[in-house]
Amino acid sequence: MTEAVLEVRELRREFGGIHALDGVTLAVRGGERLAVIGPNGAGKTTFFNVLTGEIPPTAGTVVLEGRDVTGMSAPRRARHGLARMYQKSELFDGLAARENVALALVAGRGPYRLGTAGTAAERAEADRLLERVGLAGQGLRRARALSHGERRQLELALALARRPRVLLLDEPTAGMSPAETQLITSLVAELDRSLTILIVEHDMDVVFRLADRIAVLHEGRVIADGTPVQIRGDHVVNDVYLGRVVGA
Amino acid sequence: MIRAAAAVAAMAALFAFPEWASGIEGSRYAETIVRDMLVFAVYALSLDLLIGRAGMPSLGHAAFFGSGAYAAAIASSRFGTDELAVSLVAAIVVASILATAIGLLSVRASGIFFLMLTLAFAQMAFAVAFQWNDVTGGSNGFSGVRRPTLAGMDLSAPDTYYRTVVVAFALVVALVWWIARSHYGRALAGVRENERRMRALGYDTARIKLSVFVLAGALAAVAGALSAWSFRFVATSDVGLGRSVEGFVMVLIGGAGSILGPIIGAAAVLYIDRVLSSAVPYSQTVLGVVFIVFVLAARQGIVGLARAAAVRVRR
Amino acid sequence: MSPDLIVQQALNGISFGALLFILAAGLSLIFGMMDVVNLAHGAFYMLGAYVTLQVVRSTGEFWPALIVAPVALGLLGLALEPTLLRRLRGRHLDQVLLTIGVGLVIVDLIGLFWGREIRTLPLPPGLDRSIDIAGNAYPTYRLFVIVFAVALAAILTYVHRRTAVGALIRAGVDDAEMLSALGVDTDRLFAVTFAVGAGLAGLAGVIAAPAFALSPGMDVDALIYSLIVVVVGGLGTLGGAAVGAWLVGPADTFGKVLFPQFALALIFAIMAVVLLARPSGLFGRARIGR
Repeated sequence: MTEAVLEVRELRREFGGIHALDGVTLAVRGGERLAVIGPNGAGKTTFFNVLTGEIPPTAGTVVLEGRDVTGMSAPRRARHGLARMYQKSELFDGLAARENVALALVAGRGPYRLGTAGTAAERAEADRLLERVGLAGQGLRRARALSHGERRQLELALALARRPRVLLLDEPTAGMSPAETQLITSLVAELDRSLTILIVEHDMDVVFRLADRIAVLHEGRVIADGTPVQIRGDHVVNDVYLGRVVGA
Repeated sequence: MIRAAAAVAAMAALFAFPEWASGIEGSRYAETIVRDMLVFAVYALSLDLLIGRAGMPSLGHAAFFGSGAYAAAIASSRFGTDELAVSLVAAIVVASILATAIGLLSVRASGIFFLMLTLAFAQMAFAVAFQWNDVTGGSNGFSGVRRPTLAGMDLSAPDTYYRTVVVAFALVVALVWWIARSHYGRALAGVRENERRMRALGYDTARIKLSVFVLAGALAAVAGALSAWSFRFVATSDVGLGRSVEGFVMVLIGGAGSILGPIIGAAAVLYIDRVLSSAVPYSQTVLGVVFIVFVLAARQGIVGLARAAAVRVRR
Repeated sequence: MSPDLIVQQALNGISFGALLFILAAGLSLIFGMMDVVNLAHGAFYMLGAYVTLQVVRSTGEFWPALIVAPVALGLLGLALEPTLLRRLRGRHLDQVLLTIGVGLVIVDLIGLFWGREIRTLPLPPGLDRSIDIAGNAYPTYRLFVIVFAVALAAILTYVHRRTAVGALIRAGVDDAEMLSALGVDTDRLFAVTFAVGAGLAGLAGVIAAPAFALSPGMDVDALIYSLIVVVVGGLGTLGGAAVGAWLVGPADTFGKVLFPQFALALIFAIMAVVLLARPSGLFGRARIGR
């Protein structure tokens, strides 16, 4: 039932002497919501970059749905069902929101088609997705003209567009107001359990609301891995991270 | 729809130019100027696919313009036929092969590094053209280029050849317009706006960039062939840095990423290079100053200025 | 190749390398500090050569040009940076495009002012003879170029490593943003750097003027060579410019002797290979921005 959908073994990544990832081993079950937390510099974004294939690991393996993807390029991994929401929104700033979404929706059919883009059917599908993330009617606005929160919503839409199997959310609520945070968190909470989600987050309320399981990263290693209750009570974790944040 | 109609009307007017301008003094000269503007408009449109659509700033585009010109010129003498298809295909094939080779090595770079790589490779092509005397004529250039025939019909007469250029121009404009509206064109825009996000969505951006690089090179070769036939001559300057820079200036002044932009830019640069230069000795200074002004104050070119003005009028 | 020929060509290569060093040092400095590839560099060089021509015409002497040209080019750089380049701060590609325009204007104005015919300058008296080296007569001017470049390299290295200005420049090349945060007037630093870069290009023009002809295309040749040197040796460092210059100089010289047909293409191929393998050059600073 709950096979590991995503697995990393002894993942290492070095940057000129700095061990950003120092032997990370983790398995994520199908449908699970795994939060990855840790202090700044713990290696969380590097972890995501290695998972998506944007950076190669110095050592270790990444296995996606039973397939070793360690050497696979980022586009190929995306085509195998991996999607990402970046910490700093990566949008097509000069294009309209609808076009942003359309590019994501049609990605599966390849770019070498000379048919006209922007058909009525495509527009309808794009608008549906925009509505789903709370951007109804915003299709014609240019991405760069959207507010910070709206950009994050669009970013989520791009991540969801290709019906991924594994979704990586890198600080989805970064820089958001409480209302915006609520919106995004609800959207993520409503996502179907056929989707496996990894979340990097600093906002502990969001983490405890969404996560089935929490992995704590510190200096490139997983120092704790368990349910939210377990992690909250873990002394090591409290010393290293939660204590500082909560201000205990 | 209005735009399409206007475009067709413009093409028709261009095509019929020899008729309605025949009585006007200096029309023969004007026809030559318009002809050359159209040839360079094709060149600028091809470069704009890279600069404006895909966001790949190239300073080596003359390599494809020039190799197309040389290939067309050499093909007709080597194959012993003036048939248009032969020379044109030769030009496109040679430039495409060159573009594939250079592209494979260059497209993984971006921004200034891509700029410098394309410059380096184009200068290699220039060096080859300059020193391969037997084939290209070396620094003396390749003279005696014969204008093509189309299924036996001789296209060399001024009016006939002019119309050939108009038709070629119209076809290229139609092609670029089609690409712009297509899925491929939108993918190019995606690569331009955010390559990282495109890759995260599953697009193989390196291959997309290579494909547009070769396509742009092939279209530049068409312009090169037209140029070779127009002047009946190919010079090493057709492959040189100056020609690459000129293309960039045309695209920027006219307005990158549009269809009218490169056309207007080509017309403007050609006007300065030909018409103005015969009147004053400082035409290159004018060109340089205009370019500087646009880089500083009107980065989106003439088309950009027009659009901004239109927005203000609407308010 | 006979030993005599080898010695002669080696000296030619070193001499050419010396000139390339003076030429490329300025380009490397500007890129290292400002992340701008100054495509007007060849035009600055050309202007330096033509100013030398003017000095010789007006005074009959060559030596004053060694001061006049660099100073003139330095002032030009000092005028250009704040008025033009500074407006595009942060837009590196646009700054590069701007320098293209500047180059176009300078080259055309040179042609307007001094004419477009090919001109030559006589070798300065005192350096217009040959001396005996390894059994062959070798022009003393070329030896002067080598000595001059080495001396200049020594001076530049001293300034770079031992003076406050040099420290500022080293820091700026490393991280200009940080310098600005520390309260250093980076605007002035950039202007001075650009001026020094221009001045060095002009100085190269002075040195080259008696050895090569002055012609309309000389800016493109100089630009291409300095780009190759800077790319090969390393973008942004003086040491890189030196390494690149004394690699490219001899390679070009021997290449032209051994396989003249493809010597030029060979040099570009080397540049392209280096760019592909190590984008910041053999000894450069890895600062690859947009």
